[in-house]
Amino acid sequence: MSSELRVEHLRKIFPPIKGSPVAKAAIDDVSFTIAAGEIVVLLGPSGCGKTTTLRCVAGLEHPTSGRIVIGGTMYTDPQAGVLVPPRSRNLGMVFQSYAVWPHMTVRQNVGYPLKARGVPRRDQAKAIEEALGLVELSDYADRPVTQLSGGQMQRVALARSMVYQPQILLLDEPLSNLDAQLRLRLRDDLRRIIKRVGLTALYVTHDQQEAVVLGDRIGVMRDGKLLQLAAPDELYNDPADLFVAGFTGASNVIAGRLVSRDGMQGVVSVGSRGSLTVRLAGDTAPGAAVNVALRPDNVLLEPSNAGPNQFPGRVVSRNYQGTQTVYEVSVFGQTIEALEVGSSIRHAVDAAVTVALPAEVCWGYGAGM
Amino acid sequence: MDAQAQSLAVAVPNRHAERRWLPAAWSGLLIAVLSFLVLYPTAMLLIGALTTTNPVVEGYHFADLSIGNFLTVVTNPNVGSALANSLIACGGGTIVAVTIGLSFAWVVVRTNTPCKGLIASAGMLPLFVPPLVAGVAWSILGSPKTGLLNMLAAKAGIPFHIDLYTMPGMIFVFGIYYAPYVYMFTAAALRNMDPSLEEAAEISGASAARTIATVTFPLILPAIISGMLLSFVVMLGIYGVPAVLGSPANLSLLTTYIFALTAWSPPLYNTAAAVAVILMVVTGFMVWLQQKVLSGRSYTTVAGKAFRPRPLNLGAWRFLTLAMAMVYLLVVVVLPSIALFIAAFRKFLFIRDIPSLFDAKQYGWQHFIKMFDNPLTITSIINSMKVGVITAVVGGILAFAIGYTVTRSRAPGRRTIDVITTIPVAIPGLVIGVAYLWAWIGVPFGLYGTLWILALAFVARFMPDTVKALSTSLMQIHRELEEAAWICGRGTLGTIGSIVLPLARPGVVAAMTLLFILAIRELGSSLFLYSSGTMVMAVQLLGYYEGGNIGITAAFSLVQMVLLGVLITVTNRLSRGANRASPIRTG
Repeated sequence: MSSELRVEHLRKIFPPIKGSPVAKAAIDDVSFTIAAGEIVVLLGPSGCGKTTTLRCVAGLEHPTSGRIVIGGTMYTDPQAGVLVPPRSRNLGMVFQSYAVWPHMTVRQNVGYPLKARGVPRRDQAKAIEEALGLVELSDYADRPVTQLSGGQMQRVALARSMVYQPQILLLDEPLSNLDAQLRLRLRDDLRRIIKRVGLTALYVTHDQQEAVVLGDRIGVMRDGKLLQLAAPDELYNDPADLFVAGFTGASNVIAGRLVSRDGMQGVVSVGSRGSLTVRLAGDTAPGAAVNVALRPDNVLLEPSNAGPNQFPGRVVSRNYQGTQTVYEVSVFGQTIEALEVGSSIRHAVDAAVTVALPAEVCWGYGAGM
Repeated sequence: MDAQAQSLAVAVPNRHAERRWLPAAWSGLLIAVLSFLVLYPTAMLLIGALTTTNPVVEGYHFADLSIGNFLTVVTNPNVGSALANSLIACGGGTIVAVTIGLSFAWVVVRTNTPCKGLIASAGMLPLFVPPLVAGVAWSILGSPKTGLLNMLAAKAGIPFHIDLYTMPGMIFVFGIYYAPYVYMFTAAALRNMDPSLEEAAEISGASAARTIATVTFPLILPAIISGMLLSFVVMLGIYGVPAVLGSPANLSLLTTYIFALTAWSPPLYNTAAAVAVILMVVTGFMVWLQQKVLSGRSYTTVAGKAFRPRPLNLGAWRFLTLAMAMVYLLVVVVLPSIALFIAAFRKFLFIRDIPSLFDAKQYGWQHFIKMFDNPLTITSIINSMKVGVITAVVGGILAFAIGYTVTRSRAPGRRTIDVITTIPVAIPGLVIGVAYLWAWIGVPFGLYGTLWILALAFVARFMPDTVKALSTSLMQIHRELEEAAWICGRGTLGTIGSIVLPLARPGVVAAMTLLFILAIRELGSSLFLYSSGTMVMAVQLLGYYEGGNIGITAAFSLVQMVLLGVLITVTNRLSRGANRASPIRTG
């Protein structure tokens, strides 16, 4: 039932706002393909163009140029004058605000798309039953939606978007209006339900935790550009640039200069004494300024055995968080964060420590980027 | 699935291309309707002001279009004095209204005066009284010779005498009846003001008086000015009050002067049009000023939060504020009601002595019986109801269409539609009447003489308020609710029918009932558009008053007030929970 989605060279330029001379591109040449049955998450800060991309797929926004092909059918191609209205696209969409209709019961909400399609009444009842069963709301069918909790409303919205077996399911930050605990539970449920139905899904969020749990692949967007589209583990272990690295939690950025490189490995001089072996992304030439990014949990304090990339440092501050402790460590003139898991505190403030930065998790990016 | 997708690939682009002209056609239709309702009559009014041909006798001739005709009228001293009188009466009335309205707002929102709820709701009652009824009631109370107050004072031997057939009399009645406009604006501003702004001033060391002068007052100043200009504009377009109180003393205001011109024999339609244009220009300037005040200084104090302002403890003084409020309610609500009751039920208004005031034998239904013996009474009531229904249905549907198009659609020409819709804000009802007269009187077999011309004039006149009220309730419907229906496979019309309309229903019902009420009490524009077969209540009431029978006039006033009261109660029931309609410009 589900179809492949192909987005080709999508570009959306909003007319320039008064005062600013340049028109801003909300989506800047974005291309990707989602295989049938795959869940792809678009991840990025607000204003990065992820929601606009999703709305272009839905047909709610009209791109300036580019093409959107769903299941082999052209749905959007402004140059050719093709802009199929949302109602004829046979897509499902879960909105950020739930968008369940307050003047209807749960059953009426879920049955609405079936009625719009002229599905025979008997089939309607069966499909509604199935959809409600899927989201575990069968007992609530005849309640007015206004009596439901936020999480239940979100399930109604999900049931409504799947009841007619759409080609593709679009989800626009569907969990952002829920409280933290509910968000965690619904996050897991969402993936399970989508996978059980086998829907192709495009999911938009700004929460990387959500993206990792939900997505088969994650696309990181910034300023209208799709920076990297990859499986979660690839994204976390091999981010394509500093921004993506930052989005995966690599909050330590060490500025230095590339001294030499050997394939994907390079040596970066940091400060006056440091010489750091890193993994390089891209084709930075020796002599260029580089930023080295790494996650706090990859920084080791007082490693058990000696090795490369070990430097003398000093603990500047300590932030005990119960099950983990975050230390600020000063090393070759810069301050970086180190995270140690466990409830015991191992290092005192002002203590001298050996800081190990494993080469395979030190990612070097050309600073010009 | 694949086969279906393939067939879609062929079919869909065509279907879409076919519909691309639809939004433009829709906008064109709306603009055409609005041109018919607003632009054409306004244009005819301007032409009328610039010619000297009589549209009834000679039809429309544009050969002698000349600014000279207009200037002749403008330089006429009678016009000058009517304009001056209007500005004095409305200016004075505005000052009274601001004084009363502002103090009321403060008492109700910011003090611990007892019975605040009662004061607040009773204080709004004058809004629902048609100005003509108010004028009639006060002429019964305060006419120099036969006024009830004067007679009673004389019998009781109190040296008290008032004469409301004067400029101060008009200012007084204008002021007390339009105070609620100022109250509505300033009370809302006071209520929405974050109390911590004042607390911050106090903590910074400012005294209470200094806080009021430097924080409170500047923050609500835009609301005060706005309410002030609005009440000025409304007064400027009122016919009923100056007709009743000004005419006996030969005090002409612009409105009464315009009507007098068309009542002359032969009617001076061109002069009337020219004076109407002057009235429109003054009104337009005031409305422009009000918009500028509202847009120039944003209400930074209005946040999404509901504040509970800390009421000022007045101590024993709170009984003084209560007494003042009671005096206002007595003067505005109780006295006029008693006057109407006495006049309507008493055989002769002359009061020999005080005990005779309470003599049951003096009272009876004779004025009501006489009133209903006149077939025109029933005709006018039925006609008013018909006009009200037409106005409510046509106006409601049109306003919904405009509101939806402007706030929700991407149709081209939305801005133009929005602008044309707001034009009538600057046109008083009476001027709309003259404009419609000019637009249709010279067209044979046209609208003139039918109930429809009245209804369409009312639709045009109340369009801005109706559209604004409906747009507000439309904007409260989250856009995604509509998008969800599109995604689910519904078209634009299906979505409006199944999602937007049901959700906006309370607002739509409220707007339509409000239109109905405004239409049946509208006098200013009816004056020029009724004919013998299309008599409406408001005009019939004026006829009774001018016929000199104060008993029947009072009886008919009471009938209208009861009708309005019932309607308003029903409306409130229907629109409970619906958002309040925006302040109405009534006349």
